[in-house]
Amino acid sequence: MRIKKIMLHLVLLVILLSGCASTTQVVILPDPDGKVGTLEVSNVKGTQTLNQPWQATESASMDKAPSEPNILEEKQVRQVFREALEAQPIQPVSFIIYFRKDSSALSQESIALLTKVMDEIHARKSTDIIISGYTDAVGSVDYDRRLSLQRAKAVADILVAKGIDRKNIQITYHGKSNPLIPTPDGVPEPRNRRVEITVR
Amino acid sequence: MRISVIIICFVFIWCIGTSAAAEPRAGFVKNVSGEAFIERNKVLTAAKVKDELMENDVLVTGRSGSMGVILQDNSVMSIGPNTRLAISKFAFEPADEKLSFTAQIKKGTMVYLSGLIAKLNRSGVKFDTPTAVCGVRGTHFAIKVEEPGI
Repeated sequence: MRIKKIMLHLVLLVILLSGCASTTQVVILPDPDGKVGTLEVSNVKGTQTLNQPWQATESASMDKAPSEPNILEEKQVRQVFREALEAQPIQPVSFIIYFRKDSSALSQESIALLTKVMDEIHARKSTDIIISGYTDAVGSVDYDRRLSLQRAKAVADILVAKGIDRKNIQITYHGKSNPLIPTPDGVPEPRNRRVEITVR
Repeated sequence: MRISVIIICFVFIWCIGTSAAAEPRAGFVKNVSGEAFIERNKVLTAAKVKDELMENDVLVTGRSGSMGVILQDNSVMSIGPNTRLAISKFAFEPADEKLSFTAQIKKGTMVYLSGLIAKLNRSGVKFDTPTAVCGVRGTHFAIKVEEPGI
């Protein structure tokens, strides 16, 4: 009778323990360009820092700190995360096209750059392209707003002429706001006379 | 008397409708495979490419589903099958220094490649699981949360 009671308690305890917590495994993957960032994995009992490719730690309960990091085999990681990796979108890419002062005309180099933009659009089957126009701090607020819009439109028009659906292009224009290189008002800065294109 | 009550009801519903529409998006669905859903306000809908994602949306996949999303800060996130991931916080307004993304993974597999929020805010990106919290600094990583099997 007593043995049965103890066994019952043991079984309950085992169920409770295994029902207690999920196991979390965290693995650092190399960036597309091979570099590696930093990850801190914490629970109430401690923290582990991951900063090498394929380095991993596990946290199986809230009573123990995450495990000592170890390096996993790439093949195994790719197996465990196969579906998530297959579903990973290509990271968005951005381009900058520069303009001469007071102008929204594209140089030959800029037009050539747009071929690369087209390649990236096709590679991603992108339906989300953001074209943002800017000016430097020379000119009135109104003039610069109009000019920045003209620049963005000029780039959009070329992409549409090359076959991109206008529905997939979102144009924003910022006048002299959000400069790449902050300057006092009225100061020319070629690096701010630009259009930024983001392909998602 | 009755007419004014009806008008008030309509105005109330319209206000809720427009404020919901005005919420900024957190991202969008880039690709979908198999059983993949978005749960919003406890309602589960099949996920489609180009679906917009909002803060508090939960990404859900079935036994044979996967989904890839692009977030507003140009980070990318993808989940494998049997996964439940909530976008519990998302704010991306660099001009106002609002840079914050928190995801909660209840179960499943996930891969994340960070973008501008992690780049501009060292403590901006966080992933919570039932047994750990991950602080992300500009990196590419994977998380698996295995529920206890009974």
